[in-house]
Amino acid sequence: MRVRIPGLYIVLGLVLAGLIHIIAVLTLPMLAPKNAHARLAALGPANTMIELPAAAPGRQVMPMMAPDVRYAFCRFDLANGPVRLKAAVPDDLWLIALYTPEGDNFYSVAGADMKRAEIDLVITGADQTVEEAGADAPESSDEVVVVNSPVTEGVALIRAPLVGPSRSARAEQALKTTSCGPYTKAG
Amino acid sequence: MDADRLTSALTNLPFVLSSSPTAGREDEVTHSMRDLAYFIGTFAVALLLGIGSVWYMIEYGSPLTTTKVGPWASWDSEGKPDADPYTRAHVARSGRLPLSSTVARYFVARTDSNGHTLSSSCEYSIEGSPLNARWWSLAVYDEYGGLIDNPTARYSFNSEELLRHSDGTFRINLASTSRPENWLPSGAEDQTLILMLRIYSPRETDSLGIGLIPPERLPKIERKSCE
Repeated sequence: MRVRIPGLYIVLGLVLAGLIHIIAVLTLPMLAPKNAHARLAALGPANTMIELPAAAPGRQVMPMMAPDVRYAFCRFDLANGPVRLKAAVPDDLWLIALYTPEGDNFYSVAGADMKRAEIDLVITGADQTVEEAGADAPESSDEVVVVNSPVTEGVALIRAPLVGPSRSARAEQALKTTSCGPYTKAG
Repeated sequence: MDADRLTSALTNLPFVLSSSPTAGREDEVTHSMRDLAYFIGTFAVALLLGIGSVWYMIEYGSPLTTTKVGPWASWDSEGKPDADPYTRAHVARSGRLPLSSTVARYFVARTDSNGHTLSSSCEYSIEGSPLNARWWSLAVYDEYGGLIDNPTARYSFNSEELLRHSDGTFRINLASTSRPENWLPSGAEDQTLILMLRIYSPRETDSLGIGLIPPERLPKIERKSCE
């Protein structure tokens, strides 16, 4: 006696497996409960610069953090207007990166690529404009970088890679002088 | 009598029953039961196949999304806003915030160059050449991506602090007990290890602007001895 699995069931099974596969891949970025954005949101309020403690065993906000990079982040929320991020960048290695909650790195700038040692970054939402480059102060337009964000909420993450074994105190000190907050014209 | 009971039990089994001449109604019932069993079975297999293939392609990558060089694997579009769904799911699930692959490349190794799983009970020699980038760092983690406790508080070596040979090449000794040169401690606990090489601002890029690391530049991971 032979047990035959009809071909119809095999086809049905494969189509169903494919559907499940596609749905799982597309919904996972939104459903991942412990993504980086959720981990950082637990650490403090939005629109504030928060320094992460140096990664050490049992003390890591995110998995696989670099032990020789010091981090500070600002969870920006553009619901009440643009957000301004200011930092005095002490060396070429610094990296400032903006992320969506799903982890898309939609903007980044390295210390080496900046014209000035001080970065003044204004993050704007979809229909927000910044009049920083006004007629009364034309030169200020070069100094302010305006980044249009595809999301209302996201994360700005500053990385300060260490240039030597005993440089962590210096990097941490430099990160303390960075700021993040609601944008006002006066700055 | 026993034989009689056995036969009646056998005839109640769907497959046997369907082959024996029986009344039409009983036949119908077994057919629909068999259809139901097939349907549930098909669904279970589909679920297993669908979820299993997704899990593998997100956790370990596939030739569509990752570049594999010896023991090293790197997601080509990691962090890019226009990345494929697999890469985006991988990033979200990882809990990390990687820089876009146009700014940095991350290479992960779970095995040595011969394909053996990295373990803290073994000693490894990691030999590499200079990397054309502004800064890079090689760090060791446990299998969950956590740093490993050790008396020297040494978790990585980066391009600024590494001891190099006169020709620019270097060797990192990954071992649980103290070693000369660059000693990267793998901890006292017996566990599997993950190495991550993060390369910030690679100076060469491909046509898509993705950081390009020549395969021969990636370090070789050679197992020396095991406990």
